[in-house]
Amino acid sequence: MECYGTPMSEAAASPESVDSVESTLRDALVNEDAAIGAIVPIVRHLLAGNVNSLFSEEIIARVRGMSEDVARQLLDRLAQAQGETERRDHAPEAVAALIETITANPAFLRYLHAQTVEWQLTRQLQSRLSLDPVLSPLLQALIASPDSALAALAMNFLASQARFCQAQRRMKLPLGELPGDLLHSALLALRTCPGLAPQSDECIAAAGTAVRGEYDESRTRLGLISRLVMGMGGGAVAALSIGHAGAAIFLSALATSSGQDRDITTLSTSKGQTARFALALRAAGLKPEAVREQFLTVHGDLVPPESITRIGSDHAAAMLSSSGAYPGAEYGE
Amino acid sequence: MVNSGTAQVHAASDGDDRLIRADEPLASLQIRCGGDLPGTIAVPALLEVVRKARTFGMKLARPIRALDGEHNVTAWVEVSPRAEEGAGCEISVHGWRSEPASANVLEIDAAHRREIDCRLADFSAMLDSEQRLLAVEADAADLTELVEEMEAGLGRPWTDFVSIEGDSYRQPMHWRLLDGARLTVPGSPRTWRARLIPRQVPGRENSGFELLLAALDALPQPSPGANEDILPEKNDRVVGRDLAPVLRQPITRIIANAETIRTRLAGPIADEYANYASDISAAGQHLLALIDDLVDLEAVEAEGFSTAADRIDLAEVARQASGILGVRARERGIVIDAPKLGESLPAIAEFRRALQVLLNLVGNAIRYAPSDSQIWVRLEDGERLARVIVADQGPGIPAEDQPRVFEKFERLGRSGDGGSGLGLYISRRLARAMGGDLSVESAPGQGARFILDLPADTAPYADATSGMLDGTENGAFIRSRLPKIPSRRSNGNEAETPGGS
Repeated sequence: MECYGTPMSEAAASPESVDSVESTLRDALVNEDAAIGAIVPIVRHLLAGNVNSLFSEEIIARVRGMSEDVARQLLDRLAQAQGETERRDHAPEAVAALIETITANPAFLRYLHAQTVEWQLTRQLQSRLSLDPVLSPLLQALIASPDSALAALAMNFLASQARFCQAQRRMKLPLGELPGDLLHSALLALRTCPGLAPQSDECIAAAGTAVRGEYDESRTRLGLISRLVMGMGGGAVAALSIGHAGAAIFLSALATSSGQDRDITTLSTSKGQTARFALALRAAGLKPEAVREQFLTVHGDLVPPESITRIGSDHAAAMLSSSGAYPGAEYGE
Repeated sequence: MVNSGTAQVHAASDGDDRLIRADEPLASLQIRCGGDLPGTIAVPALLEVVRKARTFGMKLARPIRALDGEHNVTAWVEVSPRAEEGAGCEISVHGWRSEPASANVLEIDAAHRREIDCRLADFSAMLDSEQRLLAVEADAADLTELVEEMEAGLGRPWTDFVSIEGDSYRQPMHWRLLDGARLTVPGSPRTWRARLIPRQVPGRENSGFELLLAALDALPQPSPGANEDILPEKNDRVVGRDLAPVLRQPITRIIANAETIRTRLAGPIADEYANYASDISAAGQHLLALIDDLVDLEAVEAEGFSTAADRIDLAEVARQASGILGVRARERGIVIDAPKLGESLPAIAEFRRALQVLLNLVGNAIRYAPSDSQIWVRLEDGERLARVIVADQGPGIPAEDQPRVFEKFERLGRSGDGGSGLGLYISRRLARAMGGDLSVESAPGQGARFILDLPADTAPYADATSGMLDGTENGAFIRSRLPKIPSRRSNGNEAETPGGS
């Protein structure tokens, strides 16, 4: 180029150039970052009691239901530590105060939101493609695997996924299913929550120790999937087809292979996050045709942004990792 | 390439997140990541999980990733804090997978690279959206003049103050074309590289840049075990530099897809097809191993190839090699009799290279020895030389073939067993580069004895430069660093080196 003295700016202005493709997608990603960043304040606002149509009533109801369930379980454990043997209802003010303290952690809300979106996706796949919410074709294959350790892991996941479906229907979230960091933050909330009746420090500490002692992250549903995906090794490529793997395994595999947080990956399957979803699939190494196929499976009617065909997989990963919703980047607040 | 898919690896940490014991291959990873054993956990992802498990008082289980410079390691770790107050954690690792890192692994992680650039940069400036200077800050002595000029000219484009290599255009150009440009600045004898990082604010198109300058020709820091990587770029490193990274990716993908088919993860298939897939996968693995061998071959044959002269414990190297290949040996019913814990044999060599030679020798022994036999790994402490002998109960090598086994691509008529015919050649070159030698003794029907000699470490342990030595079983492998041994060391063996390179 230099030899012929072509002004560089001309090349950059051509609609076909990688530069403009990238900047289109980059702009889309920046907007999507802003949208993701707005989720937490909005959800918190809605939880405070206002009715708003920006988010579906269902998501709000589910997030509220799950956070209430977590708060009640924590208060149950506290009551046990105080020596109460009979279960009783907790004061609504105490529950509300604890919910507020727990959900002050943006990561906690994002997790609840992502769980809800995953459940919605799971049900959509069931109604549209008759994909079983628990037993996907891939999981069937894994259970029949000649590798007995892998098969046993797959069975454990099957049971755990069944419990997840049941809990989602009831808008419940068992403490033992929380990721370790979030359980830790919930236990801290129990200690710092201002609206609770004054408790002795020993009781709070005893309740905390009991919960921590029972906890085993390797038995959580997300832990099991994550280990299952790792155990498949090179075969994990098979998990990158949502129609084959089912939403749960697909989301974990996509998160791992695109280097994104699983919650962010889950949120990217919503209709307003198509650039992120397309880039993640590309970063995971899927070819443009495969990206298109996954789009049709997830959305039914949407196709990926056309520019995605001209972005290489390394490049896609780099764009994702520099986007604002990447773990480590400031998020939410 | 050490894939201990099912084997469990155990380790333990103390209340300060120091690794106090670890099985292989975790122990080696700890060392390769720059840590000691015992010592603070040097694998960042593992440290994070252990620290959390300890402070949360919960059993955590997560996948970790680590990069030791040559391999991408992924594993599943489960960390349980011990009950006592202030105690450490029990760590168990499953599904250890180690794959050669592709050359562009570091490039993929743009955020990480940006972080590195910020740390390395001696100069940083804030620019507005038109690349005009807003503020300037520099650390290096040779940049004082530039900073003074720039501070006097705030508001002008930064490109007015520097000379960009090969540039004949009106400045400033589009930032993307300037990002990565090489340039010189007044007052500095060094060449610099520019890095422009756009500030992104949602909803605003362009809100300015951060400009970083990093010196290209700062004195290179000697880094352990990476000596061949800092050689000046040469055309004779075609395989390692250009070819291997390009080949590895498609081959890895072939293996991954073949594994998907073999394990029936994409749906049920007949046994024959699963077996075909298994053959494809095995052939792919063989190709990968061959590429590794070719990269090594090129490295050892390169001019100026040298190894680090570390003070190592050859007994520990032998135990590690035996441990790493233990699973493969057990599959064939072979017992490896490795040096006992507590035995030690101080030598002067590069840990990684000595391990590579022993892995090759023990690996060969496993490949050619009959099932249900035994392999002995013995130590001999000479006056000048430290010696390791790997002996097997295989068919042995006839006297007339013995010199030929060390020749390049020599297979002694064998084929189809996954060998490349390069292993022993490379091993001997490595042994000689470290000032030692590799030889063989064998009689047909009597098995073979491969003998690795390395310079003995005769200096007293309490040497002033050492000081890191400790008496624990897993003590620091690399005890101290001595001046480098040049590759063409005249030690009398040079005359025998095959001249075929």
